[in-house]
Amino acid sequence: MRRDDRNADRMVALTLKAGAYVAFSLIVAGLMLQSVTGSLKIATVGLVVLLATPVLRIMVAGIQFLREHDIKYALISAGVLGIVALAYILRVQAL
Amino acid sequence: MSLGATLLLIVIGFGAGGFGALAGVGGGIIITPLLAIYFGLPMYQAVGVSLVAVIATSTATSALYVERHITDIRLGLTLELGTTTGAMLAALFAHRVNRGTLALLLAGFLLTSAVSMVRKAWSSRKEERQTEIPDYRPRNYPLGLASALVAGGLSGLLGIGSGPIKVPVMYLFMKVPLRVATATSNFMIGVTAATSAYIYWGRGDVHVPVAAPVVVGVFAGSMLGARLASKVRTFYVLLLLIGVTSWLAVEMIYKLATGGFS
Repeated sequence: MRRDDRNADRMVALTLKAGAYVAFSLIVAGLMLQSVTGSLKIATVGLVVLLATPVLRIMVAGIQFLREHDIKYALISAGVLGIVALAYILRVQAL
Repeated sequence: MSLGATLLLIVIGFGAGGFGALAGVGGGIIITPLLAIYFGLPMYQAVGVSLVAVIATSTATSALYVERHITDIRLGLTLELGTTTGAMLAALFAHRVNRGTLALLLAGFLLTSAVSMVRKAWSSRKEERQTEIPDYRPRNYPLGLASALVAGGLSGLLGIGSGPIKVPVMYLFMKVPLRVATATSNFMIGVTAATSAYIYWGRGDVHVPVAAPVVVGVFAGSMLGARLASKVRTFYVLLLLIGVTSWLAVEMIYKLATGGFS
């Protein structure tokens, strides 16, 4: 493992943790609210945060690679991001 | 959803996430069959909810392994090129696949997981040593990417993490240390499951009243499990999971044979 990987590791771990805690809190709050208001809106927002976290994690890693001038892995990150974006765009095109 | 059903879904998520993290296996494998068999959810919706649960396990536990520098982010991202492509294609075509075929595939994969856990349990009888990770250079990228494509496809069809495919390939053929392979597989499943989850969500197959409580349980279970993992004998957790997955495989086949999925 390269020494500069430590920075990427720290940033990626931080993103994952932040996403996990925000999504978890929103969904728990949303479920409690649901028993009062009957609406699942907040819980849905929590699920959206959860679904967005892995994508955010690719962006953070990609930016970190760019800053380290590791062009190969910055491009690979961009490639994965492109595929995920394509899936998002195609999401309503049920085949 | 009644309060009782919501609580039961939280418990199911907690069990799947907790035991999965304790044993170092995904745990996503048991959510699809549980929802399809006991909650009467149509296969596609069970898969949609399970995908979201898989993202939750990955997000909750992989931060820990990344922090400890066990995860190989570069290797993970590279193989994600394969897994996300497979996941996207599978999710797009999932509705074209017959529900019975999906159920049969899932039963087959449950049995495969049970067998791979038997092997894991056998090797965990020897005392585990937390040795330093040796230096390594991943080899055989073409084979790695090809298996990643297949693993991603199965993930998008069945709502599972497909660790039992990725981990052996990374360990045996790419010559990556086992701990690194497990952590990296766990890291990859988040993005992989998210890719197909967008398509299931767009199609209305992620039912929020079911997904929200399952995710709450999975989060709590897998965070607790990942922290306790070093203190618990993996052997007994694996025995339990082997029992559960085998039982679910039998139930799937029974329901399939009696026309429950048509």
